[in-house]
Amino acid sequence: MIVAGREGGADGVRIVLETEEAMLLSELADQVDSVLLLGGDDDPALGRLFPSAYPDDREAASDYTRYTRDSLVDGKRQAAQSVRDATATERDAGLVEIELDQAQAWGWLTFLTDLRLILAERVGVTDPDEAEPADDERDDYLRAAYEWAGIVQGSMLEVLDPLGR
Amino acid sequence: MTSTIEQLDADLVTDEAVRPDLPWQTIVWDDPVNLMTYVTYVFRSYFGYPREEAERLMLQVHHEGRAVVASGNREAMERHVHAMHGYGLQATVSKVEP
Repeated sequence: MIVAGREGGADGVRIVLETEEAMLLSELADQVDSVLLLGGDDDPALGRLFPSAYPDDREAASDYTRYTRDSLVDGKRQAAQSVRDATATERDAGLVEIELDQAQAWGWLTFLTDLRLILAERVGVTDPDEAEPADDERDDYLRAAYEWAGIVQGSMLEVLDPLGR
Repeated sequence: MTSTIEQLDADLVTDEAVRPDLPWQTIVWDDPVNLMTYVTYVFRSYFGYPREEAERLMLQVHHEGRAVVASGNREAMERHVHAMHGYGLQATVSKVEP
């Protein structure tokens, strides 16, 4: 994975992915889109994506959710779909080069955040002392994806906000 | 790119900056997932805070568990929280107790 500035100093970033990286990201983006489309209220990952605006006021919280949920879901699904489509490739297709302007880069940043929030819930990043996970191999895969998504996002931010810390 | 960032710093949204006399607040809470650089970039880009203020608020979230990132009327705070949720940050609306 290479993340660099765009030619001529244009706003945004240029991302070059290995075929396997692009396929992985496309698959993960598709899964995030599915979670957003199908996720029930009993999915704890959705609690991280759509936190309560009024944790101490059930009625206000419910009003806020009613007014905002659809647009939040739409925005997050659009971001996931744009990443899924930009990274769609085939095995042996070679490097995947992606140019993102500033607005498209924000879509990627928010998608990578949502992806990490979901993966964190799946592997229990909040509760390191929790009981041993039932499926170690699956957890290792999800944890690696979580770390990698953070590296992609961090690399993008180094280009978009070079003085940031 | 650099010019856009500098532009953001110049476009301060002063009427929505943190002021103690306004009755509602937007609070951003710490979470173990979001990168510090991401949180700072969101504060700068969305609220238009200068880098120094955005980093101060980010570090306050990180070290103290929460920070008031805006004050104002309730509708404006709900808009901010809506935006923060769009960015994937944990944010709540809170009434300032008299």
